[in-house]
Amino acid sequence: MNLFRSGEHVDFWLGGRHPGATIPVRKLSELAFAWWCDRVEPDWRPHTREQNQAILDGVGLTGDFWRLA
Amino acid sequence: MDEQDIRLRNLTYGLFVRLGRAPTAAEVAGELGRSRVEVLEAWRRLHDAHALVLEQGGDSIRMANPFSAVPTAYRVEADGRWWYANCAWDAFGICAALGADGRVECSCPDCGAPVAVEVRDERADQDDLVFHTLVPARRWWDDIVFT
Repeated sequence: MNLFRSGEHVDFWLGGRHPGATIPVRKLSELAFAWWCDRVEPDWRPHTREQNQAILDGVGLTGDFWRLA
Repeated sequence: MDEQDIRLRNLTYGLFVRLGRAPTAAEVAGELGRSRVEVLEAWRRLHDAHALVLEQGGDSIRMANPFSAVPTAYRVEADGRWWYANCAWDAFGICAALGADGRVECSCPDCGAPVAVEVRDERADQDDLVFHTLVPARRWWDDIVFT
């Protein structure tokens, strides 16, 4: 899970390997704030898989690659 | 993960933030008034439930996601400290977890050029950078260190 200067740099880095998923850094930031915002709260509760899937869906990360199960 | 384990997990995370590093089992035991062995047993259950990640051997923390207990390629300045993140996603996650603006520093894995992103009001200040993940979501925990 890495940050690259551009999609072209991802392609060079992959070097022919099968790509995973690429998203803009601003989408990543949106996802991170939705996913991690409660992690150090003193009354944190475990997320269910359904809750986590809803976060991915909510920021538009849909499709088979982003399915948790 | 029962209620006692969740409480211990939350105290472990709280100590991580307070200390700026992963707490030892002895430090968590001291806070809770429990034995070090009891803490290690609880950490193992939390590891199995993907609530944190232990080093091989199981007596210290490797990841309290999004925080890394070991140096990585992703450094984050947030809330007056520098932190290590496990990956690019976790780097922004540290700002999210702390509820703070911050700065993410790393290098492009392709060319090695330095990359720095400011995070303000939950937004990255750049739009040319991209994030790539090789591993599909359903396999993230097959090997979380590789992911």
